[in-house]
Amino acid sequence: MTNLAVASCGSPAGAPPLVIGWCHRMEITATRDQVSRALTRLNQQLIGLGLDPDALIRMELVLAEALNNIVEHAYCDAGHGNIALEASVHSNTFWCHLTDSGRPMPGGKLPPARRYDLGALDVQDLPEGGFGWGLIHDLTSSLTYDRSGAQNRLALTIDLDC
Amino acid sequence: MDITCETQGPVCIMRVISDRIDAAIAIQFKDLFRDMVACVTGPVVLDLGQVTFLDSSGLGAVVAARKLLGADRTLELAGLNPAVEKVMQLTRMNTVFLIHPDRDAALAAHGVAPAA
Repeated sequence: MTNLAVASCGSPAGAPPLVIGWCHRMEITATRDQVSRALTRLNQQLIGLGLDPDALIRMELVLAEALNNIVEHAYCDAGHGNIALEASVHSNTFWCHLTDSGRPMPGGKLPPARRYDLGALDVQDLPEGGFGWGLIHDLTSSLTYDRSGAQNRLALTIDLDC
Repeated sequence: MDITCETQGPVCIMRVISDRIDAAIAIQFKDLFRDMVACVTGPVVLDLGQVTFLDSSGLGAVVAARKLLGADRTLELAGLNPAVEKVMQLTRMNTVFLIHPDRDAALAAHGVAPAA
C-alpha cells in the first residue's frame, strides 16, 4: 500500500514535472463537517507554499463545491462513504483527482453550469442553490468525469497564475 | 458559529462570528438568523468581516436570510473578505445586495455617525 500511495502522489500522466514539489493524498468520510475540516487543513498546507492568495481562494472554492456535491448527491447526505482526494502542484497548475463510490452523476456526465438572470427575479424568487457547478466550471482550466465500475472519478486543474 | 446583534439608529448590525459560512454550518446560520431577526425591525446589515470563506451553500443561506426579511426590508452586506467577494462576483449576487466596505461605512450610509 505504501508503494501505491507514493505512486499516486507522483506526476499524473502528461503533467509537467513537479516544480514546487507538493503533493497530498487524503481520504475523508463523506460528511459536510469532514469536508469543512479537510479544506481548512489543506488550505493551511497550500498557504505554506507561498501561492498567490487569489489562487488559494479559487482552489478552496472549487474543492468545496466538488466535495460537497459528492456528499450531498453521490452519497445523498447519508453520513458515510469515502472520498479520496489526491492533489498536487506542478509549476503553475493545481491538479486534483476526487474518487468516490456513490451514485453516478445524472446521465453519466458532468452537470452543466446553471446561470440565473438575477435582475429579472423578485426577492422571494432568488435562488438559494444551484451555483456549485457554475463556480466549478468558471474556476477550472480542465474538468473531466468518468464512471469506472462503481467509482466516480473527477479530475480537475486550476491555473495558479491567472 | 454565532451572530451578534447591535442596533444603531434605524439599523441592526448582525455580525457573523465564524471564519466560514460553508455547507457544514449553512443551516445553523439560517436558523440563528431567523431567530434573531424576529426581534428587530428595519434594515439589517450583515457584517461578514470575520468570514474568510463562503461556499455556494453559505451563499444560499445568505440569500435565504435576505428572503426572510421580505421585500419591504433590506439586507445589506458589509466587510467582504476577498474570498467572499469572489463568490459574490462569480454568481452575480453582488448585483442583488447593497455591499458596504465595512460596518462604519454601512452605518454612515444610514446616517449614523461612527463612534468617536
